[in-house]
Amino acid sequence: MPAYDRETLEMLLDGKLPWNEVRAIMSSFKDPDRFDKMVEIMQSRVPWDDRILLPLGLHLYIASKPDGSRVVKCDCGYEFGDWRQNWKLEALIYVRDTEEKMQEIYPPLMHSNPEWIELREYYCPRCRTQLEVEALPPGYPVVHDFQPDLETFYKEWLNRDLP
Amino acid sequence: MTHQREPRILAIDAGGTMTDTFIIDQAGDFVVGKAQTTPEDESVGFLNSANDALSYWDTNSTRAFPSLVTGIYSGTTILNRLLQRQGRKVGVLVSRGMEDYFKLELGEQTYLGYSYSDRLHVVTHQHNPPLVPRSLIRGIPERIDTFGDIAIPLYEEEARKAVEELLEEGVESICVNLLFSYRNPAHEHRVKELAEEVMRERGTEVPVYLSSEYYPVRGDFPRLNTLVVEAFVAEPSRKQMKLIDSRVKEQGARFDLRIMASHGGTITHEAQELARTLISGPIGGVIGARWLAERTGIPNVMCTDIGGTSFDLAIITEGEFDIKPYPDIARTLLAIPLVETDSVGSGTGSYIRVNPTSNRIEIGPDSAGYRIGCCWPEGGVDTPTITDCNVALGTLNPDYFLGGDIKLDRDAALRALQEQVAGPLKIDVYEAAAGVVELFEESLKNEVLARILGKGYAPVNYTLLSYGGGGPLHVGGISEGLGFEQVLVPSWAAGFSAFGCACSDFEYRYDASIDLPVLPGLPDEVYEGVAAMINAKVAGLREKVIGEFAKSGFSEKDISFRVLLRMQYLGQLRDLEVNTGREWIDGARGMLDAIAAFEDLYGKVYARAAKSPELGYLIPMVIVSGTVDVEKPALPDEPLQGEEPPASASKGEREVFWKRRWLKASIWEMGELKAGNRLHGLAIIESPSTTLVVPPECSVFLDGHRIFHLQRDEAEAEE
Repeated sequence: MPAYDRETLEMLLDGKLPWNEVRAIMSSFKDPDRFDKMVEIMQSRVPWDDRILLPLGLHLYIASKPDGSRVVKCDCGYEFGDWRQNWKLEALIYVRDTEEKMQEIYPPLMHSNPEWIELREYYCPRCRTQLEVEALPPGYPVVHDFQPDLETFYKEWLNRDLP
Repeated sequence: MTHQREPRILAIDAGGTMTDTFIIDQAGDFVVGKAQTTPEDESVGFLNSANDALSYWDTNSTRAFPSLVTGIYSGTTILNRLLQRQGRKVGVLVSRGMEDYFKLELGEQTYLGYSYSDRLHVVTHQHNPPLVPRSLIRGIPERIDTFGDIAIPLYEEEARKAVEELLEEGVESICVNLLFSYRNPAHEHRVKELAEEVMRERGTEVPVYLSSEYYPVRGDFPRLNTLVVEAFVAEPSRKQMKLIDSRVKEQGARFDLRIMASHGGTITHEAQELARTLISGPIGGVIGARWLAERTGIPNVMCTDIGGTSFDLAIITEGEFDIKPYPDIARTLLAIPLVETDSVGSGTGSYIRVNPTSNRIEIGPDSAGYRIGCCWPEGGVDTPTITDCNVALGTLNPDYFLGGDIKLDRDAALRALQEQVAGPLKIDVYEAAAGVVELFEESLKNEVLARILGKGYAPVNYTLLSYGGGGPLHVGGISEGLGFEQVLVPSWAAGFSAFGCACSDFEYRYDASIDLPVLPGLPDEVYEGVAAMINAKVAGLREKVIGEFAKSGFSEKDISFRVLLRMQYLGQLRDLEVNTGREWIDGARGMLDAIAAFEDLYGKVYARAAKSPELGYLIPMVIVSGTVDVEKPALPDEPLQGEEPPASASKGEREVFWKRRWLKASIWEMGELKAGNRLHGLAIIESPSTTLVVPPECSVFLDGHRIFHLQRDEAEAEE
């Protein structure tokens, strides 16, 4: 069974592992303790103590607070509220819906027609880190990316109770 | 055996780390020598390796080389340079708009060489580092269309400017690959003239490679790859090959060293196209098999080679192997003909693991290779391999691996199997090992069957030939129940690939695209016209072949020529290679004969009912092959003696775990057996380089050519 040391996993997380090593990891069986090791690395990197239950994306986590509530938190500690709510509703939003705004990041003619598709960028209100971008027709509601089944994940995949 | 040894044939296989030398004497006996490869001057490693081999015969290169009659080289130098992207600085000129060839690649190149699961797993696909950086690629405005007509004229000023820019960048050679140049090379030729003009003006000179001169075939990307490989890595290797050739001659040899090429023939280091020496590894055995088939009058052979890392298969039908026109190597698609072999990542060194999700045994695709397995602690392997199972079961003698040069540790093998396979599965370790071997043989058996049935043939019409270090060990399991006409194992199975290289013809083969449609049922004059168009191509290719042989001092009359056509039904996707057996397509008769030969072949490969002559035909490619006679190994020829083996061959008995029970196996020394001897299973025949296992209810017969025939004792089984 493969097992990787912390240094390798940190490089993997930071995208610094050479491609051939990443590929070897992808092609072999999953190391059974990867989840716990990764959460441990993330936990040591964030400046707060609430326990990480599940990473939710780049810079975002579901964490458990001392009072037992579960919230979505950013790297910086900003809390987006209950994990079952769409965190995007609490984020700062920048919408690119004109040619001019599109061409700040794309060459002319290489971007979508803003009348058909707009870009919505979500930022953390405290540290201003970009957390997510969605491309949707104007007027389409904010997408709730996904809501993990925390309970089942812990019970049936990790074989333990959700803390 | 104590006859006077006279070394006749030399075969060199220069790998990345070790150079193997294979020397065959007049009786067909051989020795293998090994030495470290010396990349700065390969001839040093080669001589060390040859002397290592000859030391077993108490002689050395200066004494032995003068008696040699032929020598073949195959090596991975070019391949290693390609893998490491170490080559000359090459500039590339393409049709404008096509400058991003190496960035875009063909999708297929992002997963070539991957296991099936990774191929499906798109996240593992990856672009290759470009063969030539974008900064050394220039587009020239021009366009030849698919009919060979000029759609946009060549912008000569732009071409001159592009050449100047590349020279300014300090390129060491320039490759020109324009669209449809195989149809009409006019623009490429003009670019070369312009480049030479520019170089004259600047007082510099670098070689210019034209795709229309080297590989005039359809498929601009594989063609460009091949052209760049030629300029980038093959050309620099020419010097190495020359050095080895002169070193061999210094030692008193009186022949030109020939190099194994992908089309199944050998060429010299002076050949124009060296890129095709890039791939030669697994094809040696196929060529050896064809030669053996020819000598023993067997038309159809299924070749199976079990090595340490892979299982290679090839089919010989009516004395001919198939050719793949666009093979790939090192994740690069090439436009050179390659003897068609299939490789499965399953060999005796393949790792065995229990998949934690499904709790099933998985074999390979990665392997311990030369590090054998856990039974060889020096190799540092910690995952058990197929060899570990064989050692554990008792089929492999741990004290006689490579003639005892390497001692294997049976307990270590058992320990690893217990911990990693039997333990997790909660079964007995011997049962686990036997189960793994059964699974291994079963999966190889499926591959064999798939190849034969996939081509529309049946095992009953084929002879299974088993070679490679692990072939004889598993041949019983692989052939069981398939009903092959016969099952043959040459006693020199371990060295069969190197031996096969020595059996190859001195052959140059050139392919050119023609894309000629031919309709059925027309008057003879039409076919005469078609034949004339083909012959015009043949004449050009024939000149190339004559030119190549001239470098080795052969004239046109020494060469036997053959014209081959790749043909298909108009509108279908797959073509077949038709051997016309002629030097030229002789008028309407010749053309109609070629069509008939194609129909016949199509009926065999697919089904008679699938023939579709009403569609008409397309001839995508014309091929000319030229060969000259060279010395080949002699097949051992010994008088048959009685079925009873001599007492000196017996090595006693050994307990072997065979399919869920312990059996007593008789043990024999292969070299002591005489032609004509017959052994009944369960018997194990050992030699320093391989082990032949005769299963119960089977027997082997050693014929006069020292080839074992494995037979099922059906009569006895019925009794």
